[in-house]
Amino acid sequence: MTRVVVAGYARSPFTLATRGALARVRPDDLAAQVVRGLVARTGVNSEDIEDLLLGCAFPEGEQGLNLARLVGLMAGLPRSVGAATVNRFCGSSMTSVHIAAGSIAMGAGDVFICVGVESMSRVPMMGFNPLPHPIFAKSNPEFYIGMGDTAENVAQRWQISRAEQETFALRSQQRAAAAIAEGRITDEIIPITAGDSVIETDGCPRPETTLEGLASLKPAFSAEGLVTAGTSSPLTDGASAVLVCSEAYAEKAGLPVLAYVRAVAVRGCDPEFMGIGPVGASRRALERAGISAGDLDVVELNEAFASQSIACIRDLGLDPKRVNLDGGAIALGHPLGATGARIVGKAASLLAREKGRYALATQCIGGGQGIATVLEAA
Amino acid sequence: MDDIQTVAVIGAGVMGAAIAAHVANAGTTVLLLDIVPEGAKDRNALAAGAIARMMKADPAPFMGKRAAKLVTPGNLEDDLDKLGEVDWIIEAVIERRDIKQALYAKIDAARKPGSIVSSNTSTIPLVTLVEGLPESFRQDFLISHFFNPPRYMRLMELVGGPDTRPEALETIRAYADHRLGKTVIDARDTPSFIANRLGVYWLQVAVVEAAGRGIPVEEADLLIGKPFGFPKTGVFGLLDLVGLDLMPHVNASLSAALPEADAFHAANRPVPVIAGLISEGYTGRKGKGGFYRINRDGGKKVKEAVDLATGVYASARKPKLEAIAEAGRSPRALMEHDSEHGRYARAVMVATLAYAASLAGEVADTIADIDEAMCLGYAWKDGPFVLIDRIGPDWLIARLEADGAPVPPILEAARGRSFYRVENGSLEQLGLDGAYHPVPRPVGVLLLSDIKRASQPLLKNGSAAVWDIGDGVLCFEFTSKMNSMDDQIMALMAKTLGLVQKSYKALVIHNEGANFSVGANLGLALFAANIAAWPQIDALVVGGQQTYQAMRAAPFPIVGAPSGMALGGGCEILLHCDAVQAHAESYIGLVEVGVGLIPGWGGCVEMLYRWRTYGRLPNGPMPATAKVFEILSTATVAKSAAEAKALLFLRPEDGITMNRARLLADAKARALAMVEGYTAPGPRDYRLPGPSGRAALDMAVRNFRRLGKATPYDEVVAGALAGVLSGGETDPIEVVGEKELLALERSEFSQLVCQAGTLDRIESMLLTGKPLRN
Repeated sequence: MTRVVVAGYARSPFTLATRGALARVRPDDLAAQVVRGLVARTGVNSEDIEDLLLGCAFPEGEQGLNLARLVGLMAGLPRSVGAATVNRFCGSSMTSVHIAAGSIAMGAGDVFICVGVESMSRVPMMGFNPLPHPIFAKSNPEFYIGMGDTAENVAQRWQISRAEQETFALRSQQRAAAAIAEGRITDEIIPITAGDSVIETDGCPRPETTLEGLASLKPAFSAEGLVTAGTSSPLTDGASAVLVCSEAYAEKAGLPVLAYVRAVAVRGCDPEFMGIGPVGASRRALERAGISAGDLDVVELNEAFASQSIACIRDLGLDPKRVNLDGGAIALGHPLGATGARIVGKAASLLAREKGRYALATQCIGGGQGIATVLEAA
Repeated sequence: MDDIQTVAVIGAGVMGAAIAAHVANAGTTVLLLDIVPEGAKDRNALAAGAIARMMKADPAPFMGKRAAKLVTPGNLEDDLDKLGEVDWIIEAVIERRDIKQALYAKIDAARKPGSIVSSNTSTIPLVTLVEGLPESFRQDFLISHFFNPPRYMRLMELVGGPDTRPEALETIRAYADHRLGKTVIDARDTPSFIANRLGVYWLQVAVVEAAGRGIPVEEADLLIGKPFGFPKTGVFGLLDLVGLDLMPHVNASLSAALPEADAFHAANRPVPVIAGLISEGYTGRKGKGGFYRINRDGGKKVKEAVDLATGVYASARKPKLEAIAEAGRSPRALMEHDSEHGRYARAVMVATLAYAASLAGEVADTIADIDEAMCLGYAWKDGPFVLIDRIGPDWLIARLEADGAPVPPILEAARGRSFYRVENGSLEQLGLDGAYHPVPRPVGVLLLSDIKRASQPLLKNGSAAVWDIGDGVLCFEFTSKMNSMDDQIMALMAKTLGLVQKSYKALVIHNEGANFSVGANLGLALFAANIAAWPQIDALVVGGQQTYQAMRAAPFPIVGAPSGMALGGGCEILLHCDAVQAHAESYIGLVEVGVGLIPGWGGCVEMLYRWRTYGRLPNGPMPATAKVFEILSTATVAKSAAEAKALLFLRPEDGITMNRARLLADAKARALAMVEGYTAPGPRDYRLPGPSGRAALDMAVRNFRRLGKATPYDEVVAGALAGVLSGGETDPIEVVGEKELLALERSEFSQLVCQAGTLDRIESMLLTGKPLRN
């Protein structure tokens, strides 16, 4: 079977929705600039690209139509390059990587750009016209459960105290702050031009975070709850992209290989405990790769919430020291559709940087799913 | 008034900043300058900080977010040259002549020729301020004295000096009147001008008399408060608001400026406890407290009052005073009451009213000006001369004579008469010459009270009246208690529509009450519910909807002209007017959910129409529904007419009048402008989300429940609201007619009104004035 490689990764800065520097940037503009930047940085011949696969969790309004096609055209890709928009909520752009990997494996193309974007400023969660099925919304309210409520459910069932969540959140902030201060993140960022200004730094991290500050926050989703804004990922604007191609093509074109895609998986779970989704998906992916959690040198686990991150680390038996080395979504932000490509790209880069052998990128998905990708060092 | 395009305010303290905010409320760009604080990173820190604070202040100095953007912060070192582009420069710095004069020299060097400079001083005479300054400056200089808070207090005292150009005074008068909405009173250049001269005396007498007679502060505030039509803060509560630390400064400055014979000197006796309070930081509400404080020891908030003799705080009482109970509504009976309380009230008020009379001719040209200044500057219900008329000038003269006190000439002139009279339907006032003169109204001011004095209503019943305001326009006035809406108003409106159609051109809905209308008469509703008179309640809802629909269908324009609160049914009548000309201080909202109801007189339907038409929302069946649901389910009340536009309680093309006294004239002009070619709006169709949208709203409400922000009964009421706003059982591909939607609104209303949760809420509102969170 043709081996699949990750040959490049880039993202926009991630900034807070509504208040941040990217709030006024259209998501199509944002994603197009990242695609253009990735193509330029990797030097891939854009004529060779088979397809642009773009993940987006709420593909309507400015994220509507076939956003992928528009992004490809705006990014200056040849008109011959295909484009499809993919939705698996937060797993959207990781799914685009999986589609690319599958396509390459079956000989349906050599070069794919896998993109993710979300402007949570400009298209609200639930979209502009939330119209749930009235009967199922009544009989099965969990089909439509809010994400914060699932985080509370996980905290309850896995008995994760507020203090434990806050310690985890603080660690995420500290790691992100250190990574930024030491310039470990600069390379992955494509500066975004908006009018006369250029946005090149992340806007979400709060390096000044303290345990006392976190302890003083009010519950964000339930009056008696344990989850706060400080232990949740913030609403974020951002885009990310990875270049996925066949090993043979990378070799021929002289592209640097960050990592091999070794195995992938998705797996459903109870919607009201969606945060635990990574457990089932990761177990499957690890099994397919023929390795165990102990073999992992690098893990990128999306921090939708501290509670579900801790539960997943526990249940998968991950070594916390290897999880989210440069901080996670609680600090960096979580632009829904963009996160999957970010953590795949980040895990691949870290594998190279840390000189490890195996990496896992995994995330939970609203509605009750998990998605996972196992990478192997080049 | 077009002469003022840009304004600068110098001094970003409490008054200066709030004056700048109010100038911005008028839509004028304004530069706010202050000194550069030592070692500051941001050289505009003082002005910028003041603007930021005002954005969060309550009551808000700004009427809306747009106004805040019109204020540019700056500093006196880098931005002086910008004064060269400014038409009016308002100085509001510390009350020190040397500092003000040094500033004037800087201003004069930077300003453009002919620009107007004014001071907001409340104590320093104009002649002293301009002493030694060039004539060109003196000609352009005047005093524009605002009252705190400038957005809300309608008084501006205008003082010109011997050299001030009359055109400069006229420019500021016109701008302050039309654009800032102020009643401009000409004050003479005497110490503290009009309102503070009398107000400070009044407060001082009330304080020293209370201390001398051993009257506790709570009792003094009850006595020198509501019985005389003064705000319920009384004397000590007001001083807490103003700041105790200001008293010694103001008193010293008045004492130095007033002639020896002035009665103020006798009242200006020190009260030792006050000095003690100030030195301990009890400077009033801005400090740790004042005559009253909130004690939070032990986790509970306890209101305490100070003992004027010992300075010790004790839990504040709510005394029931026999003197007040027995006097009823008569201030004279209170002052004649044979008790310490009666004697205290008499001592304070006889001195105050006599002092007011002694100021006639000295501080202002007319007694009406003094009355107006006290009403608008101190929120007295009646000015001193109206009060004397109520008490009886002869009674006051007799009291003064019995005390061996002098009787001021104007009071002597009122002997056997009154200060005001109505002659041929016009209000007249007593002049110093002993003759009566008309109370003048500024050009263009049209007051319903003047019309009512001079004519009879065309139609009238127990809750409303209809007046001819000229040029073919009628005015519909609510006269019910608190202008609440009831079946009589609906009945008279139906008659009025017929009358206008037959013989007139247009209708204005307006009244001069403190509030346009507080909504439907809940007492009646509760009474009907308690006797299970459901058909009557249904009839009221149907009748209201029909009346409001008939207003919209009428073949002539109807213009609403609200000021103050327009809530619930009072808001809904405005929603059905063809245009609204609102006073800037209009507080409009649909607050029915607070009493467990939903708008039932077409309010839900009209708001849906507005958000679909003007809302600039994304396409689709849901956005307007969700937006209206958000506004109505939280009983949002706009805190200004500008905010009402943002919430679409007012349409974008509706007008805003800054000066309340000009509201009726503006509304009438608006109505007349619409007459030619007027056609009534046609029926409307709606496309709504149906049960799917309802499901989305229900989910949102459940989230609020989990957050503890919604109560169990909120969920019931919000459910009914969601049912109407989503269009009931409709489907997004169907079109719903207005009639069907109104029927849905009515049916959801009727289902709520007979539920215990709703009746409990209504009862609580009637008993406590507060919404019940059941």
